[in-house]
Amino acid sequence: MAADNPQAGQGRPLPKKESDLFKGVVKHYEVKQYKKAIKQADSILKKFPNHGETLAMKGLTLNCMSKREEAHALVKKGLMNDMRSHVCWHVYGLLHRSDRNYNEAIKAYKQALKIDPENLQILRDLSLLQVQMRDIKGFGVTRHTLLALKSNAKMNWISFALAKHLDGDLRGAVNVIDIYLGTLTEDSPELERGFESSELAMYRNSLLAEIPDNYEEALEHLDTCEKLVVDRHGLLMSRAKYQLKLGRFQDARETFMTIFKRGASEDYSVHSGYMCSLLEMDDAICEEALNLDGTGTLATMMPLSAEQKQKLKDVYIGGELSEELPRSHAMQRIQLTLREGDDLKNALDIYCKKLLKKGAPSLGTDLSSLFLVDNNGRYERVTDPVDVKAHPNYAMIVQLADGYISSLSSCSKFAADDNDTEEDPSTLLWTWYLRAVLHELGGELSEGLELIEKCLEHTPTAVDLYELKARLLKASGDIKSAVECLDKGRELDKQDRYINNQTTKYMLQAGMEETALERISLFTKHEGNPEQNLFDMQCSWYELELAACLAKKEDWGRSLKKFAAVVKHFDDFHEDQFDFHSYCVRKVTLRAYIAVLRYEDTLWGQQYYGQAAEGIINVYLHLHDNPTITKEEEEPDYSSMTAAQRKKAKAIQRKKKKAAEKKAAEEAEKQKAKEEAAEKENGGKKKQNNKGSQAVVDPDPLGKELLQKDPLEEAKKYSAMLSKYAPNSINTWLLQYDVSIRRGKALMALQALFKAKALAGNVPNSEVFSRIVDFATKADTLKGDNPVVQEVVESELAALLNGGSISDFVTSAVDHVKKNPLSDLSYRVAIAKAIVSTKTSGVADAASIVIDGGINGRGVTASCCHEALVTLKKFGNEADEAVTKWSETVKTKFPLMVETK
Amino acid sequence: MVKKLEIEFGAITADNVEQLRKVNAACFPVSYNDSFYKDVVARKNEGLNKFAYVNGFVIGAVCTRVEPIPVDASSSESGGDERSRLYIMTLGVLAAYRGRGIGTKMIASILEYYEQHKDDELSTVKEITLHVQTSNTDAMNFYTSRFGFVKGEMVENYYRRIDPPHCYILSKQLR
Repeated sequence: MAADNPQAGQGRPLPKKESDLFKGVVKHYEVKQYKKAIKQADSILKKFPNHGETLAMKGLTLNCMSKREEAHALVKKGLMNDMRSHVCWHVYGLLHRSDRNYNEAIKAYKQALKIDPENLQILRDLSLLQVQMRDIKGFGVTRHTLLALKSNAKMNWISFALAKHLDGDLRGAVNVIDIYLGTLTEDSPELERGFESSELAMYRNSLLAEIPDNYEEALEHLDTCEKLVVDRHGLLMSRAKYQLKLGRFQDARETFMTIFKRGASEDYSVHSGYMCSLLEMDDAICEEALNLDGTGTLATMMPLSAEQKQKLKDVYIGGELSEELPRSHAMQRIQLTLREGDDLKNALDIYCKKLLKKGAPSLGTDLSSLFLVDNNGRYERVTDPVDVKAHPNYAMIVQLADGYISSLSSCSKFAADDNDTEEDPSTLLWTWYLRAVLHELGGELSEGLELIEKCLEHTPTAVDLYELKARLLKASGDIKSAVECLDKGRELDKQDRYINNQTTKYMLQAGMEETALERISLFTKHEGNPEQNLFDMQCSWYELELAACLAKKEDWGRSLKKFAAVVKHFDDFHEDQFDFHSYCVRKVTLRAYIAVLRYEDTLWGQQYYGQAAEGIINVYLHLHDNPTITKEEEEPDYSSMTAAQRKKAKAIQRKKKKAAEKKAAEEAEKQKAKEEAAEKENGGKKKQNNKGSQAVVDPDPLGKELLQKDPLEEAKKYSAMLSKYAPNSINTWLLQYDVSIRRGKALMALQALFKAKALAGNVPNSEVFSRIVDFATKADTLKGDNPVVQEVVESELAALLNGGSISDFVTSAVDHVKKNPLSDLSYRVAIAKAIVSTKTSGVADAASIVIDGGINGRGVTASCCHEALVTLKKFGNEADEAVTKWSETVKTKFPLMVETK
Repeated sequence: MVKKLEIEFGAITADNVEQLRKVNAACFPVSYNDSFYKDVVARKNEGLNKFAYVNGFVIGAVCTRVEPIPVDASSSESGGDERSRLYIMTLGVLAAYRGRGIGTKMIASILEYYEQHKDDELSTVKEITLHVQTSNTDAMNFYTSRFGFVKGEMVENYYRRIDPPHCYILSKQLR
């Protein structure tokens, strides 16, 4: 009986009727008619209950109906019944793929291909997974097989070229494209000017340019493909870049000019390239200048000689360029970066007047880009009020603004002897506003607030004024008033999403997470749960601020939950590239596709991910340091108690539990009521919503599961991600140190310290400093028994401490501060702590580092002043006098600062 | 010479009515209650209730309503012929922007609106009126000399919290 029973599979076909039914199952699955597919599968299974492929297909269909468990069981059963069916293996792979378990999926596909090596569908699916997982070699092999099987398909050629490219075989990739083009007949539409042929040509060109020292060939190729290319700007930019790289500066200059004339006058990178061609800069500088962000140009990237500046001025001020682009705003801004002294002042005068008349609130911020200082041959923008106030351009702008104000207030003109007609009243408003921003930049918060009050009296309907006032209040250390002010501004225009978001952010920083949610919910979908909606929209900034807010409130579980949400977004971003593997090849958007792949490779180095990881690490480290937090909910140890104690303890436990349950129930009730109310509001739409909201009920809204994880292990996981993807951020290594030191990993901690120190450069960094001191004090216990480790720790520690003892190290920091009175306040605080903890000197000396001159240095923010105060208070009675003195100093500088605990 | 300001008009809506509060608080000694603002928004008539913008910011507002003319006992007319008037509730320009013709433009735009709609929406309107505090000679000159309003009877103790509490009724017959 078993021999002629097809249900055992092994390649034996089903009878005709069932075979047709099976085809129906596949067809219905593909068009997402799952119920029909199941019905047909069931009718096959009725006769052949063990037919492997049918079981597998039914499982796969169930998986699409959110029945994951059942699906897995069925697919496995199907596979067990028919291990030699490529269909079963393919389905098994698809199931893993839908779980994002790509490595398992790849294995399953490969099994399927062993049975059916030329199955195009499986090969294609495998190649997608391979490129997603960056198994570049495997991707190359699969694409080669596909090309060999079907060499008339354009997609196969292109994909094979991409595989070569990703594998670093640039010449090979070019050859593949050339062979493909060779297969086309002369009259093929693929060879005519059009989007796809254009993209393919530009992709081929980018390959040529990527080959080292091959700009000559790339440049020539641009000429040959010019008639095909529709992306004119891209072509010209490439040509200009190659000409620069080849040192053909005159040619490059002409190409950039062509680009300007086509309308790219506001593109600062074009200006940068143009400047490089003019000054004949070397390759490295050209590369750097072409990759500047925003409004940066060569002139703001690095200090130029007087001669170089003159050359630029010759074309930018009254020269070929200013004639060509008379109305360009970028031109005017760039001119400012080329001028100095009175020349600059006159130009600023014209520039400011023009924008003040227009009413440009951004003018102050715009001008702050002129506060540049030379740092090792590169310009850096100063932001600390101490440095801003010392900058000559700041003084110049302040002088101009003050002049305008006095003249506008007395005669409504920019200057009393001005022949012009009077200015509009709003000109005075925006001049006051500019001056208030300048006060803000210079750290003169009270003066800024005074002026912004005048602005508010003048035009109380301007939203921007409320925003600046709130910023000033926040910097003054009064976040609550800042929130109130911003919320009033928000009410003026309830359609302004920006001000609404800003209000939400401030509220979260002020610890008002519930009101914050109300505010941001004004702009989310009006149905369903707004938090879920924000998650679906991947609103990372909100989740990060909320997570930080919850951490501050020691609501660790919910905080982790929100940080984890952002991590999830990044997993999704990574997942999202899956769609592009086939789409981009089909549309031939190959340059963009390669850029996406490269971006995805550095995805976890993005700032938001870094913030989320940092938040998670810090919470887990806190939980590690305070294990009682997570133990609280467990039952106390009854065995060591007397009967009476036990009874009492159990009663307390019961009560606690009840209270917690009650609270949870209330929360749930509230949530339900909210949702019901929301649904009522939407009336008829109820049915639709139900489906959506039911699918996303979070079983653990308070993040209790996250709290149960091993904190150090979790922290390690995220720290490892940062070390890998964000190695150039100093924070990465500070966190790596914090994690390693707790794990007792002396060498990793040391490595992290060296990396952090190198990234900090010459500038003393309080965080690095305090960790070196921390390591030095713990070194003895960390060394362990291994003599090799001992030796490394000793010698490397000596290097960190510059060869002396800890006390010597701390003393030299003290000397540094005394020699550099503008030293950062946070650095001073770290030194003060170190003096006391290492007993280098007494409390009085420690306090003196902070209170003597600390307020006049850099880094004097309300929060840092507060932290200094907390530190001083911890020094005990001996520091009482210093505490009083520092409190008074801070009060004078930040009269509005609100005391927090 | 003082330059006239370019202005634009814009609607008063639920989303921006707070700006009307700001303008009124800056311009008038009396404060209006919530129902005043609610009514303005609910009326949704951009022709009679509007903001004046300069350079993108609200710097003034005018609010007008249509109200029935009370039928006084001595009038011989009996019902049937409905009679109403335009009543200017508020007209305010932020101090910094005054003296540049903005108020004139706002009143002119109200009168213009009347001209456009006197045969349909405003067919029952016979006159335009407002109350002016007895001490506010600037306002009285503004309406009488520039627009031909006529000073009418004095209403005693019209205002409760400001001094003097009396006002005049200014009005202009429209047809």
